[in-house]
Amino acid sequence: MQRSIHTSAAMIAAASVIGISWGISSTPAFAAGDAPAADPGAKVDYSGKLSILTKFGLQQLSPYFVTIAKAYEAQHPGVKIELIQENDDSIKGKTKTLVASNSLPDIYFSWTGTWGENFIRGNRAVDLSKVIGPDTEWGKTLSPAAVKAFAYNGKYFGVPLYLDAKFMGYNKKMFADLGLDVPKDFDALLKACDALKGSGVIPIAIGNKESWPLVHYLGQMLVYNVPVETLERDFDPKTAKFDDPGYVAALDQYRALQDRCAGGAQVNGLSYQTAMQSLSDKKAAMYYQEIIEFDQSATKETMLKPEEFGFFKLPAPKDAKGSVTALEGAPEGYMVNAKSKNIPLAVDFLKFLTSQENGKALSTPPYGQPSAVIGGADKTKINPNVADGMDEIARATYLMPWLDTVNHPRVAAAWLSGLQAFAGGSMSAEDLVASVRKAATAAAK
Amino acid sequence: MKMGSATATSHNSAVKGGAAFDRRAWARHSLLQQLAALRWGIAALIIVGWFVYYPIIDNFFVSTTNQDIFTGEVNAVGLDNYRRLLDDQVVWLALRNNGLYAVFSVIFQVFAAFVLAAIIEGLRNRTWRNFWRAVYFIPSAISTTVTGLLFYFIYQPDIGLLDAFLHLVGLQNLSYTWLGDERTAIYAIIAMSQWQGFGYSTLLFTIAIQKIPRELYDAATIDGAGAIRQLFSITFPLTREMTGMMIIVTIAGAFQVFNEVMVMTGGGPNNSSQVLGTWLYEQGFNQNDMGYAAAIGVVIFVATLITGLLQLWYTKRRRVEV
Repeated sequence: MQRSIHTSAAMIAAASVIGISWGISSTPAFAAGDAPAADPGAKVDYSGKLSILTKFGLQQLSPYFVTIAKAYEAQHPGVKIELIQENDDSIKGKTKTLVASNSLPDIYFSWTGTWGENFIRGNRAVDLSKVIGPDTEWGKTLSPAAVKAFAYNGKYFGVPLYLDAKFMGYNKKMFADLGLDVPKDFDALLKACDALKGSGVIPIAIGNKESWPLVHYLGQMLVYNVPVETLERDFDPKTAKFDDPGYVAALDQYRALQDRCAGGAQVNGLSYQTAMQSLSDKKAAMYYQEIIEFDQSATKETMLKPEEFGFFKLPAPKDAKGSVTALEGAPEGYMVNAKSKNIPLAVDFLKFLTSQENGKALSTPPYGQPSAVIGGADKTKINPNVADGMDEIARATYLMPWLDTVNHPRVAAAWLSGLQAFAGGSMSAEDLVASVRKAATAAAK
Repeated sequence: MKMGSATATSHNSAVKGGAAFDRRAWARHSLLQQLAALRWGIAALIIVGWFVYYPIIDNFFVSTTNQDIFTGEVNAVGLDNYRRLLDDQVVWLALRNNGLYAVFSVIFQVFAAFVLAAIIEGLRNRTWRNFWRAVYFIPSAISTTVTGLLFYFIYQPDIGLLDAFLHLVGLQNLSYTWLGDERTAIYAIIAMSQWQGFGYSTLLFTIAIQKIPRELYDAATIDGAGAIRQLFSITFPLTREMTGMMIIVTIAGAFQVFNEVMVMTGGGPNNSSQVLGTWLYEQGFNQNDMGYAAAIGVVIFVATLITGLLQLWYTKRRRVEV
């Protein structure tokens, strides 16, 4: 009898489990958002909660959004802002977890390229064309190139907050002590590395534990060696061929740079932050960094003082077949959740975030993020290097997007792991390009 | 009240109708009583079903689909994800790494911990016994994530504590990029794990050893048995149940490794330190391939289920009574 009771109990449990399972399995596991429920240009109701996922989780950057949120709440007492602050490494996982659980906040960070396109494919971003298009009042206050970077199929989905690009930061005093000039081409950079190594310092600190830092090196080298139209063809797995000899040429150049300027295969054992610290601690002469990091690598507190810090664009090889006037970088910004209960309020907050005043605050130390707002940088107050970097971005004829956000995730993964193998010496340049080609073929299916 | 009258009725019936009828009434009464008790268990069954068994079953269904988390599109692909598993070199590498984890963990966290526990319990001075137990246990009290970060800094080339120590003792030729080399990354992580888990196992073994009656050792000493003979003839047989349990628990744990790998290498360089857990995460959250990630989850489930069943079987069969 006891046995039959146990059997029936087990059957009840199994039936309930299977019933629940079938009932739920018949609906999609992750329901995508529906079309935007509200007009982004509608009258704003200044009440309720606004949640925001930022990429300003780093200690130096996190106060920015806190200050802005407090100022907005002070202007509109009925509004409560909830911040979720992540950093460069954690934001991808966090965003995908929120997407998978249909819990995206009202406003969320996005890169341009395939990353941003994912939200649009899934109807998770509000079409902001009506309020931020190039001819709109708000759109005219922002860098046109930055606004355009968030356009997909002629519609504008993102609000660019700042411009980002990659430059070689260097210790001016170390260069001066050895009588070195800013290298004009790639060979001159390698020669400078030889001289610096001879003086006992690390010429370039490279940390690739996270695997994306080398992707940034390669992005700039690829745009120097591969024609832009070929690169753009290869960004799409359906048209990708990865047959241009410039791919192998760029990898060979990276190999030379790693062998002569960095710690050889050691690069995979160091994090990018440890590498940046090496420049700040004057152990290394150079560190390849984003413009948004200029105000972190040389501060009043670091051994490398802001006046000792300089930067230059990664020099191109003399026989470059690609675009030598291109620069690796992209604006970064925010999108509005199509399922937000208060879309006009979210748009209003983003307008406040991109005001001239807040743009200037963003460009000024300690944040040092070049604002996408036209006139959003007071050159007398911002780091002169950031100001010069912004001019370089403006001069660039093409902004090469990050390889890990512009490519299909499977292709990006092939670049990321393949470059670690290449840096460690276990994969040749040809094999790496072949593995990327194979990943693109698989992704196209 | 109802139950009381039912009992009275069945008693009367038994007097009138004979012994066979009486047994049926009693059985019905017993069934009603047990069903009444069962209702209290139903809530628990539903909770366990919802939070434990439903995710397991649903994960299997997810593993037979391709899902795009951004669009919500779900396409049935049958067993394609499992066929893909067989061709995925990283899955085999991850399985090998989990296997290595299990082998090293059994050696250090079971057998070496057992020997250390026996040595500590053999100390005459109680204060020293407590001291060494605490010394070895402290690393287990630190979170795996914190330990992972700590060892990431210890292993740093040139500026890490390990290489600094090697330089200090004149062994600079042994300094190495432990986490940055495909050949050494997984071993460096495993070493950290042993450092952390060793003390916990030792503590469990000391408890098992403390349960062994002292008279057995006293008798063995009178008979002329030395410390090593006592270890193999008394301590080891009488802690066999704990040893068996520890082996199974350690192997199951080796297939659930995640935090330390994620913190120290993220599975790199070039996927060389991937374990099943981190490869699942990479596929699901970085490559947006939830169906395939679910298939990897099924592999982890099967591996841990087998070790779990072994554990149940062992506890039933290998009990040694003192």
